[in-house]
Amino acid sequence: MNATLEAAAPVRSGDVEFVTFCVGDLLLGAEICHVEEINRHVDVTPVAHSPEWVLGVVNLRGEVVTVLDLRWILGLGNNVTTATTRNVVVNAGGERIGFLVDRIADVVNASWSDIKAPPANLNGAQGRFLQGIYELDHGLLAVLNMEEVLAGN
Amino acid sequence: MNDRQIVDEFVAESCDHLADIESQLLAIEANGAAIDEELVNTVFRAVHSIKGTAGFLQLSNIQDLSHEMETVLNLIRSRELAPDAGITNALLRAADTLRAMVENVDNSGDVDVSEHLTALRSIASGAQTAVPVPPPADTEKTLDMVQTFVAEAASEPANDVRTPADSVSATETADRGNSTRPTGHTPATETNIRVSVRVLDHLMNLAGELVLSRNQLLQTVGSKTNGNLDSISARLNQVTSEIQEAVMQTRLQVVETVFSKFPRVVRDLCGTLGKQCDLVVEGEDVELDKSIIEAIGDPLTHLIRNAVDHGLETPAERIAAGKSPKGRILLKAFHQAGKVHLVVRDDGAGIDVARIREKAVAKGIITAEQAHELGDRESLRLIFRPGFSTADQLTNISGRGVGMDVVRTNIERLGGTVDVDSRVGQGTGVNLTLPLTLAIVPSLIVRCGAGRFAIPQASISELVRVKAGERADKLQCVNDAEVLRLRGNLLPLVRLSGALRLPSSGANTPDHTGVAGNTNIIVVESGHLRYGLIVDALHDSEEIVVKPLGKNMKDCRCFAGATILGDGQVALILDVAGLAAQASLAIREEKDRSESVETMAASADSQAMLLFTNASTEQFAVPMGLISRLERIRGDQIDSVGGQEVLQYRGASLTLLSLEKQIRALPRAEQQRLYVIVFRVGQREIGLIAPQLTDIRAVPTEIDTTSFREPGVVGSLVLEGKTTRLLDLLELCRAAHPDWFEHAPQAETPAAPHAPTILLAEDSGFFRKQLVSFLQADGYNVLACEDGQIAWDALRRPGQPYDLIVTDLEMPHMNGFDLAKRVKSDPSLRRLPIIAVTSLASEEDVERGRKAGIDEYLIKLDRDQLVNTVAERLRLSRLGAVQPQNTTGRIS
Repeated sequence: MNATLEAAAPVRSGDVEFVTFCVGDLLLGAEICHVEEINRHVDVTPVAHSPEWVLGVVNLRGEVVTVLDLRWILGLGNNVTTATTRNVVVNAGGERIGFLVDRIADVVNASWSDIKAPPANLNGAQGRFLQGIYELDHGLLAVLNMEEVLAGN
Repeated sequence: MNDRQIVDEFVAESCDHLADIESQLLAIEANGAAIDEELVNTVFRAVHSIKGTAGFLQLSNIQDLSHEMETVLNLIRSRELAPDAGITNALLRAADTLRAMVENVDNSGDVDVSEHLTALRSIASGAQTAVPVPPPADTEKTLDMVQTFVAEAASEPANDVRTPADSVSATETADRGNSTRPTGHTPATETNIRVSVRVLDHLMNLAGELVLSRNQLLQTVGSKTNGNLDSISARLNQVTSEIQEAVMQTRLQVVETVFSKFPRVVRDLCGTLGKQCDLVVEGEDVELDKSIIEAIGDPLTHLIRNAVDHGLETPAERIAAGKSPKGRILLKAFHQAGKVHLVVRDDGAGIDVARIREKAVAKGIITAEQAHELGDRESLRLIFRPGFSTADQLTNISGRGVGMDVVRTNIERLGGTVDVDSRVGQGTGVNLTLPLTLAIVPSLIVRCGAGRFAIPQASISELVRVKAGERADKLQCVNDAEVLRLRGNLLPLVRLSGALRLPSSGANTPDHTGVAGNTNIIVVESGHLRYGLIVDALHDSEEIVVKPLGKNMKDCRCFAGATILGDGQVALILDVAGLAAQASLAIREEKDRSESVETMAASADSQAMLLFTNASTEQFAVPMGLISRLERIRGDQIDSVGGQEVLQYRGASLTLLSLEKQIRALPRAEQQRLYVIVFRVGQREIGLIAPQLTDIRAVPTEIDTTSFREPGVVGSLVLEGKTTRLLDLLELCRAAHPDWFEHAPQAETPAAPHAPTILLAEDSGFFRKQLVSFLQADGYNVLACEDGQIAWDALRRPGQPYDLIVTDLEMPHMNGFDLAKRVKSDPSLRRLPIIAVTSLASEEDVERGRKAGIDEYLIKLDRDQLVNTVAERLRLSRLGAVQPQNTTGRIS
């Protein structure tokens, strides 16, 4: 068990805060240090011939920011924009990248030691993008492996 | 200050010292024995300062090298050494290495400087041996320098002064591959930029203004009284524009940063090739945007190398050609009409057009028939085709024949243009035109489906709107490929919606014949590629700010970037070449547009005309050559002032002519939007209202000059069953505003004595009128004659001095060749420049004309070319720089 955990997530310790949000039926968490902002820039301009995981670009205060389709990346179909859809902007090695989520939830405080490895029956694609699982009172929080998500497919 | 800071300070300071050393050394060499002490001192001091600080920092290699350079410079200063090519070479190469070491100061110890040291020492010892500089003396100098830094450190450099033996052994283990002259040091422009405090202060002020405006805005929005929103938005607008301008200013750099390396390039090349050359640099203080400065280095280097390698002859050849053995290359930068112009011009052998054509045929770039049809200008442009090189032997100096093609591609990628002109025996000039900045690009915004896209104006050559009714005629399919029939050529079409896989509104599908169904086609050009792009709608022209796309989209070759439109939405910038590749448009050599227009003008009996209707039933034609530009206006922009219609635009008013007021014509159709044909009469501009443009096409000039003749109408012809009247703009204008012409020359009666007088011989009434109007519009007095004999009689009539002759070649009674021969054999007339304007273009005719003494050969009928040539010839003949006999000599 421990070995699997270490393979999935590098050894982390101490406390951590997650920004949590819903994509499809999943409650996902992203480490708060990755997240630059959450906004309503969901009116995405599509870019023809771009990779399938790219939804398009938005204007973020004068900067043209790429927006990824988190649903597609996680193998949950294509993005559907609704009134609660939000754009989570993260910093990926100097470049800002946004991805659309269905709904923003709370910020969750946790300790790295409480984060469990993803269940073994989680199939390949999703497993790659998840760093671990954290048990909340009312359900499970899947912690995103930001590096993998930002790397695209 | 910690150690790192001291080193950084040293690097910055040394780079400053070394910045000009190259040009200074070259200047020292140029002065030769006449030593400019102040100049040598400047270099000496620069090297000395570097040596001093390097000693303090224990950078022994830098110190050793600068020490030896200093020794040689000292000998030059004391006139014990006369700087020659060898000495300058050694100093230049040493300076290169010194710069490389300073720029990479941490690894300077690994550089092998022994070669330079030996070279410099042998130079020094070759001078009067009484002045060897012993190491102790050197240490003292170093101490002088260093004591301003830290007193206690002064003993250290003394320990570090090495004997030559030390230096060599120390570097033997060093990386040898790194030892020789380093090339391509990274200029400081890439990371840092110097901005004057004045500009920064100005920016600071503006930032303050911006904050004030924001506060006002917040306050007004907060108080919900929208009273002075207008004034606030006006203020914001102004501040923003000013900030934009100021920020652009911070990015400006003098072009000298690029130009300064060329004296060295030319000098070294001349040395290698055994040629002699002066590089004349003009406009080095012209300021260009950083992005442009960074982009022009390579193309310019290539052009300069080309000029030395291929352009200039060897001194022996030059002497044989009667020129000074030393060639001259002009490198010039200037601003004109919102563009940056860069010129590289040599006075070498020029390009032999016939050989270019031969080569192009031999290399399969064009066919023999195409070669025969090509004019000189198009032939010259062949050198920009891929895989073309005229050097019989490939050299490693100007590359392997890929060069000019790459230059063209690079410049066009920057939104610029390249052109070449050349005269055999006189030299070659390459003109580059570039936008002022790459960060802001004037673009046309178009819509396709739900998306909006920006197309840089630089890639757009024209816009074509095909009406629903004309679609069947103009848009056709060849094997599933759509083409547009445009002035006799077939232009491949690309549907933007298809290339980008967008849902397009139905109006543009091939077989749709809807009501609103105009098809908008943007004719775009990129390199050799020319095609029409079908979009759903055209929006405004905007200056857009280019933003890069993220790395996820790096494979989207259709887009060159993105921009943010006024409403905050993102619009993608189309990459014309990438789009063509996406649409798998076969990359074919499309004919130049200028070429097709010229072919139209060149065919003996036709000319490019703009066709329009006034009332929808009456068609008129105006020669394209006379038109300055076309404006599209709204009907309500026309004011009537005292019966005179004027158009308020660009802050001035343009006088308008209505056709029905000047000639027998039906009143114009009332329209919301109409066109104005703007043309020039002398120094004035005037507009002719042309409600509906029909076409631009080659029109035969065999016209009926009787049926509809009246002032303003030359005659008529029938085009596709429509009687079309050919207008004489100058006469129209004269009829409407006779007062404008009171002080200007009347037709065929020269009235302004100070203006140059041109004798014109032309038998075709149509062309004669055209030529007279071109020349008179430019302010010349013109005497028009119907054939060569009449012209000759006029020339021999006493009392009327002429300054220049413009003649047709094929004329009754006396043709142009005979006229030219007579003029050139008459001692009192031979000074007159003769310009032939003709539709004859075969090689034999050109040759025959040159033998007869014709100075310039122009193909009918390019107005700009004509007036430019006339002006140039008049200037030359006034200067007396070109004697007629020389002229004929050099052409043949």
